[in-house]
Amino acid sequence: MNLFNLGELNWRQTQLIYHALAYKNIEGLVLDSSKNRYVCVSLHQNPRDELDIDYCKKNKIGIFRREIGGGIVLLDNDQIFYNLIINRNHPKVPYAPDNFFRKFLQPVIQTYNELGISVEFRPLCDLIVDGKKISGNGGGEIGECKVLAGSILLDFDYKLMAQLMLLPNGIQKKFLELMQNNLTTVKKELGFIPLKKNICSILATKFENLIGPFTNRRIDSEINKKMIELNKQYSTDNWLYQRGTKQIGKEVKIREGVFLFYNLFNTQKGSVESTFEIKDNKVKKVTFSNSKILSHIAKKKLLDKFVGQKYDKDNLVNEITELIINNGVINGA
Amino acid sequence: MVLEVKGMKFLLDRKYYIKDGSHIWLKKEGNLVKIGMDAFFARMTNPLTALNVTSKQVKSGEEIGSFESSKFVSKIYSPLSGDIISVNDDILNNPQKINENPYDSWIFVMKPDKNVEEDKYIIEEKDKILKWIKKEIKRFEAGN
Repeated sequence: MNLFNLGELNWRQTQLIYHALAYKNIEGLVLDSSKNRYVCVSLHQNPRDELDIDYCKKNKIGIFRREIGGGIVLLDNDQIFYNLIINRNHPKVPYAPDNFFRKFLQPVIQTYNELGISVEFRPLCDLIVDGKKISGNGGGEIGECKVLAGSILLDFDYKLMAQLMLLPNGIQKKFLELMQNNLTTVKKELGFIPLKKNICSILATKFENLIGPFTNRRIDSEINKKMIELNKQYSTDNWLYQRGTKQIGKEVKIREGVFLFYNLFNTQKGSVESTFEIKDNKVKKVTFSNSKILSHIAKKKLLDKFVGQKYDKDNLVNEITELIINNGVINGA
Repeated sequence: MVLEVKGMKFLLDRKYYIKDGSHIWLKKEGNLVKIGMDAFFARMTNPLTALNVTSKQVKSGEEIGSFESSKFVSKIYSPLSGDIISVNDDILNNPQKINENPYDSWIFVMKPDKNVEEDKYIIEEKDKILKWIKKEIKRFEAGN
């Protein structure tokens, strides 16, 4: 197995490297950091549906659409990225994604533990400290390989993350508040940031214990050629803005089990925006944006019905629409 | 005719494409073939959060699209060579319908190339399906 301990790279290279290795069927662990901040969406997301593109352009924040899952992430120099690229028929590769994450995140958990941060795995693929997320992860198949991608969060720019998301103002504030309460970093936990090279060394050792010995390797001309080829493909608008999955309303995840769901209900008298704060898959709080359209009684009925209930997005939207129409408060559309 | 294994139903009025962990059903309708995912796939990917079909003309075994579940993106490989005649937009926009009812949730319809022999990865007899599903369950339960 190869170890690509690459230090700091240009932001696009941090994504291109693991895509190129997977397409070339070169197994390995990549450890690197990005010199620049950028935002990365997963394969089935369209940045136009998720990000404030103008804000990103104005602030020179690059956007990359990767071939694997995991959702939107803000990536910068305050993170160490790890990418495991392993052939899908490798005897150590679990069949189901849940098991894949559970197995290959163990070295990351052990790394945090060695740094003095007690981290545990939370399905699907979050790493948690005292209920707060400290590492986000995603995975997928590229070519003949399966890929794990994640980062060690040394520090995090919460405000920037909230600003670049395509969210209404009120929801952006709520999103920021939720992130600050549910997302932590190495700096927050330890009070300082250990040297990146030391963290990379621990990561490499822990992965080696699980997978087998590594051979140090650099980006050679063969890999570089593939990276250049992929860069051309991933730079086109056709690739970047490819159709995403249409969804009812919008879910903005903070960590597994904690997220905001909001939906706009269009009516003849205007629109009502509803925001649901979800914790551990239960509706914790509901707020409505337009008090003139929705009467106090209707609001109370909705709150009584939904707060504390199990979160089911489709059911929620259907029931609210029905309640609004049946109560004659407004004409739901 | 239905085969039931561990609460998962496999309809015997269709064939199954099984290469590399694929769980695709194929149902012939005239000279066209309707294609979707089976009950094992529906259970393993619950909830399916995204589904996409990106190709229009493919060869058997080639990548034809992708899906996402559990923050993991996997590829869909075509069971046949031919043209994709239509895609079910309702399912692409609501992929969870596959989790709920896999055999009514067709994803796309293909017109297979003529004179192409079906490959060994397409199976249809009850015994073969049962043997394959048992193997898949065992593989899953082993955590590998």
